[in-house]
Amino acid sequence: MNLRLHIWRQAGPDAAGMLKTYDVANVSEHMSFLEMLDVLNEDLISKNEIPIAFDHDCREGICGTCGMVINGRPHGPVAKTTVCQLHMRTYKDGDEIYIEPWRARAFPVMRDLIVDRSSFDRIIQTGGFVSVNTGNAQDGNAIPISKKHADHAMDAAACIGCGACVAACPNSSAMLFTAAKIGHLGALPQGQAERSTRAMHMVMQMDAEGFGACSNHLECEAACPKGISVEFIAQMNRDYIASALGGKD
Amino acid sequence: MRAFGDVWRSNIFQKWVMATTGLLLVLFLVGHLSGNLLMFLGPMHMNEYGHSLREMLHGSAIWVVRGGLLLSFILHIWSAIVLTRRNRMARPDKYVKTSTLTSTLASRSMALSGLLMLVYVLYHLAHFTFGGVHAQFYAGQTGWEYVLADGTVVPDVYKMVLLSFREPLITVLYLISMVLLGMHLSHAVASVFQTLGVTNKRITPVIKIAGPLLGIGLALGFCSVPISIIVGLVH
Repeated sequence: MNLRLHIWRQAGPDAAGMLKTYDVANVSEHMSFLEMLDVLNEDLISKNEIPIAFDHDCREGICGTCGMVINGRPHGPVAKTTVCQLHMRTYKDGDEIYIEPWRARAFPVMRDLIVDRSSFDRIIQTGGFVSVNTGNAQDGNAIPISKKHADHAMDAAACIGCGACVAACPNSSAMLFTAAKIGHLGALPQGQAERSTRAMHMVMQMDAEGFGACSNHLECEAACPKGISVEFIAQMNRDYIASALGGKD
Repeated sequence: MRAFGDVWRSNIFQKWVMATTGLLLVLFLVGHLSGNLLMFLGPMHMNEYGHSLREMLHGSAIWVVRGGLLLSFILHIWSAIVLTRRNRMARPDKYVKTSTLTSTLASRSMALSGLLMLVYVLYHLAHFTFGGVHAQFYAGQTGWEYVLADGTVVPDVYKMVLLSFREPLITVLYLISMVLLGMHLSHAVASVFQTLGVTNKRITPVIKIAGPLLGIGLALGFCSVPISIIVGLVH
């Protein structure tokens, strides 16, 4: 199939960016979206042009590195799918596709489609951990955890930190990401020691990074490639207020 | 406990302020609507109700409620301004191509519908409560007395509402603002529970349906009075 792509090109963090149009011919329906961009980049390189910069790593939908907004939808039109797992059979000959980077003040564009997501790392650093004793590792079965709680924790732990929630939210809010991390650790016995300070510190860092607030549009849940539920945001709100009212700090 | 300033500034606390004050305002609207529906029972019930509101707890109850409403309004608007500003700042560069999946016209226009309703509420108060606007229909003027069954002379609130809604301009403005109210509440009521963290697998699906229904139901309830007056059901 032949496609017309409008891709955001930006030379650096402080450079002005713009959409540039590229025609790509003979795209196989079996290609992934990133492979289609690889083919375009090969073509650009052969013409001595600068290839399009985009983030990618595992290309298996589990690392959270890739991500771009395709026709206004983070990771493209297929639900619960990262852009590396999006296949060109989703498109048809003659389609026009707009490709833009995640848009948020807390995710500054570094180049083309690559954004700096270290704000997520800083949120994790303030509370996305549990305390463990040094020495030998504890026996895995020493702490009994019911299947219900383990499943609930896993639902949140499925978050790969790609940032699609921020990209989808009209307010560029990172509440689904932060809530998934707080919800994941808060659901397990190992996470109880820091539960109160975790909610307080991670929320404070999230605000300090300049992410917006939640308006309950639920766009984040719809865009999340792992289908994380906004139920975790409600739980984060509970944990945060409990911490604010009576928690230790 | 964390320093209050840190908590107060956080987005989640600001959202709690918005949700709790919004909930109080919705509860007020339920009470307001129950009063309005007395129009269907005739002038005696309506005017008795108006009189009882002013006399409750020797006239102090109405001021307690008004104080609470004013405080709720101020905090609700304050948090709306703070959050809307932060939300706009969080995305300085917009997408060229946009697409939405779950957000609605109502959810995206909460600030606008809220602002327009604020303008309407000020006009509404100037009309029915303080009597500056449409003074010819104000129940506080001489000649508009109504004598209750026990002989008490009270302002004829029934007549004020009836004659006011026979004016097309007043009715049209009222109906437009009720559409805005229905829109605003169709997103707001269910959101309150999510923001306050009152969610679980049993109640959340019910709230997602009941919230919009309550919001739209309230708006329709308010509309029923002027529409009934226009078509002559209430006369």
